Amino acid sequence: MPKMVSQSALMVSPLDLAALVINLVLANVRVIAPVLAKDNPEQTDYLPIRGLEDAVLGGPLPRRSLKEFFLPASEVLLRYRQGKKDVEVEEVRTTFPPQVILGARPCDAAGIEVLDRVMGWDYRDELWFGRREATTIVSLACPGVDACCFCTAVGLGPDSTKGSDVLLVPVEKGYLAQAITAKGEALLNREPMEELSVDAAGVDKAEALWKLAREKAPENLPPIPPTMPEWLAKNFNDNFWNSIALRCHGCGACAALCPTCHCFDIVDEHESYKQGVRRRNWDSCQTAKFTMHASNYNPRKTQIERFRQRVMHKFSIYPRRFGAILCTGCGRCSRGCPAGMNLPEVLGQLVQLAAAEPQGGSQ
Amino acid sequence: MNLYQPYLMGIEAITEETSDIRTYKLQFKDSKVADDFQFSAGQFGEYSVFGEGESTFCIASPPTRKGYIECSVKACGKVTHAMRRLGVGDTLGFRGPYGNSFPLEMMKGHSVVFVAGGIGLAPVRSVIWNVLDLRDQFKDVTIVYGARTVGDLVYKRELEEWAKREDVKLWQAVDPGGQTPEWKGEIAFVPMLLEKAAPSATDAFAVVCGPPIMIKFTLPVLAKLGFPDDRIYTTLENRMKCGIGKCGRCNIGPVYVCKDGPVFTAAQIRGLPQDF
Amino acid sequence: MSELSELAQKLLGDGSVKVVIGYEEGPRGVRPVFVTDPAQAGKLIFDTRCVQNLAAYLNPRRQHVTKLGKAAVVVKGCDARAVAGLIRECQFKRDDVVIIAVRCGGVVRDPAKSPELSIETVADRCAGCEVREPKLFDHLIGTLPPRPPQSSQREDKIAELVAMTPAERWAFWSDHFERCIRCNACREVCPMCFCVQCTADKSRPQWIESSPTPQGNRAWQIMRILHQAGRCVDCLECERACPADIPLGLIAKYVAQAVERRFDYKTCDDPLIPAPMGSFSTDDEQEFIQ
Repeated sequence: MPKMVSQSALMVSPLDLAALVINLVLANVRVIAPVLAKDNPEQTDYLPIRGLEDAVLGGPLPRRSLKEFFLPASEVLLRYRQGKKDVEVEEVRTTFPPQVILGARPCDAAGIEVLDRVMGWDYRDELWFGRREATTIVSLACPGVDACCFCTAVGLGPDSTKGSDVLLVPVEKGYLAQAITAKGEALLNREPMEELSVDAAGVDKAEALWKLAREKAPENLPPIPPTMPEWLAKNFNDNFWNSIALRCHGCGACAALCPTCHCFDIVDEHESYKQGVRRRNWDSCQTAKFTMHASNYNPRKTQIERFRQRVMHKFSIYPRRFGAILCTGCGRCSRGCPAGMNLPEVLGQLVQLAAAEPQGGSQ
Repeated sequence: MNLYQPYLMGIEAITEETSDIRTYKLQFKDSKVADDFQFSAGQFGEYSVFGEGESTFCIASPPTRKGYIECSVKACGKVTHAMRRLGVGDTLGFRGPYGNSFPLEMMKGHSVVFVAGGIGLAPVRSVIWNVLDLRDQFKDVTIVYGARTVGDLVYKRELEEWAKREDVKLWQAVDPGGQTPEWKGEIAFVPMLLEKAAPSATDAFAVVCGPPIMIKFTLPVLAKLGFPDDRIYTTLENRMKCGIGKCGRCNIGPVYVCKDGPVFTAAQIRGLPQDF
Repeated sequence: MSELSELAQKLLGDGSVKVVIGYEEGPRGVRPVFVTDPAQAGKLIFDTRCVQNLAAYLNPRRQHVTKLGKAAVVVKGCDARAVAGLIRECQFKRDDVVIIAVRCGGVVRDPAKSPELSIETVADRCAGCEVREPKLFDHLIGTLPPRPPQSSQREDKIAELVAMTPAERWAFWSDHFERCIRCNACREVCPMCFCVQCTADKSRPQWIESSPTPQGNRAWQIMRILHQAGRCVDCLECERACPADIPLGLIAKYVAQAVERRFDYKTCDDPLIPAPMGSFSTDDEQEFIQ
């Protein structure tokens, strides 16, 4: 396993980090970090902060992922104004003010990189990439896992740098900071960071801390075999699907919380008789009317088909097309599900089913 | 201009095809776009009625005719009913062309058999005119078309034109019970009409579009006539929103209808999971 | 084997039902289970973590469940009110379902946490419970535990709301509803939200915007709770399911109290007693007609 942090990592004290935040805020750069939830002090949310003291770094996994800072729950695509026969259309901006996300969890940062692939597939989604370009993601290596996490099963880990510009590793006196991308380097060259020094000894201490976290994660689910996407495609009609989703309500909470669920709806809304907006809103394949035709025909009539679509999209369709699993193992879907659906459990069962077959699959 | 922003189109003409189907002829308001716009037969677009929403229709006019596009729309839901309230001179939005297309280049030098039912003639019409505009590059052209009743036949004027052409064999039918006393065509369901027409499969491609039940019974007839699965082309539809592969809505198993389709061969369709 | 498992085994074994909808131990605490094989009846459990309202699975629109065949459902007294509501509103007949009612001493709010019942952990719905011994059942099992800890937490919060001015109350709810992302989890888990096409999903005309904007969210939330007036059984599944942590239980109880004041009616487990919004009486108050 490669060393988590390179020998060139900077030693950052909490005071240095606080100074960086002030520096950014004064320069009108929005800083987003995990903050204690107003309605529930045991939870955190990613929210804008004015100073480092507002943030809770290394606390519980924030309730919602980072997705909403790149694909808002509702976003205006255009504004229109009706004339007598003519229509005027007003463009929306595709460049955005700079922002820094501080203390992102690796599973959340990785989700953003995974989504880049579909957002850049042939047609470049300028709204997504505009926000991407304006944002620097500073991840904080994950302090621990609970029974729902399975980042290591999908090729990530508590110290994954996928999607991050800077990785912070908590150590005794503060953090080891390592630039992953050019954007990350630019951030670490800002005042006061550029005056900090490298700490080679600290790197070894950090390794010891994270060995534990890395070992614990696979207990929930061992790595998904690389043959899974093909196996799923071949076993579309397996009887397994008929029993696994009976308790699913089709409520869509899983999609709302997920760092990689990106399905959206496009609707027009009047604001007055003559003008209005076209918006894109989060949607979910788990809802009954997601695939409903205007003729009232629905190719996915029951929750069985819809839950199968969710698993297929994440673990078969997306990996086969884009080379990445559409899941980062954050576990929010399982924690948030009111009916007790559990993705590590489902995946574990699928892996067992696949292993039990001699070769090929049912058709 | 971001990729969700439509071109503005003026409605130049409206043809009432049937009681619930209209064909709209649309001009690009921006003349530069009008000059540069290109597409291939089989591609579709997202047409918007501002304030109501967007809807997916194929481009029903052929790519050989420049400066305008046409779409044929059946009033079915919110947007399509809103389109009926629009008249000549009103404005629509158009995003496209999206999707793949019929393999015209591959079909050149061969015969083409078109089989369509009801409004399924709309996407096929784009290919028909594309072929007829380049008639000498193709061998035999056969059109087999039927609808439930005489009133449901679309492109009636063009059907008359095609019937008169020496270089096109047109077979028309209405379902049993759908005829009027003046009806001079056949009385049969489309698959049975195709059996009667029995076009040769030698060196020929088939282009098929219509309601699922029609396709279900047409494919075996084509097989019996000797058409291999990879020379039978059809278009699929599914509920769409973005049309460009991002909103995650239109997939049939691993295949995105908006990106890998909407044109598929019968061979490809047989390989798809039961997700549509 | 427990009384519940034995009963389930018998019902499945003699073919009186094809599926028993109950609770099982999942990877993360208690969750619903669908037992079709009598040999699996041992999976069924009942303890203080069984907070879910299983009546939602009786919705006739859930074809993947109805196609399993006639169901027996495990209910607490409060859940039985939802079954009664579904029968009252003609979603199925009384004979179409076998009701296994369990004597209950309260449940905890979170089925994934410890089963220990205390003032802090008890579910809001248990306060003032009068149906620990359920009255709607085909089979009544279990022994009656003592009363659950009575938390006044919700009553206190509602009293705070009542004491606010309308403007303050509007601000309180607008603040919460802003977080709503219109995922519709509240609607999908609710046993009484069984409409084939929800008003909010209608597009001709579009009564309620589907976008998660402040005005659309307010319209959705207010409409939904008004559609629940006199029907909501206070199971609070909506609040538990909400990924945005909106305190839907407060608004549900608030409306239920208004219905009680106005119509002297509380949602009950007798399907023959009509609900106020589904019936009228000639001596209903009409002071608002001027």
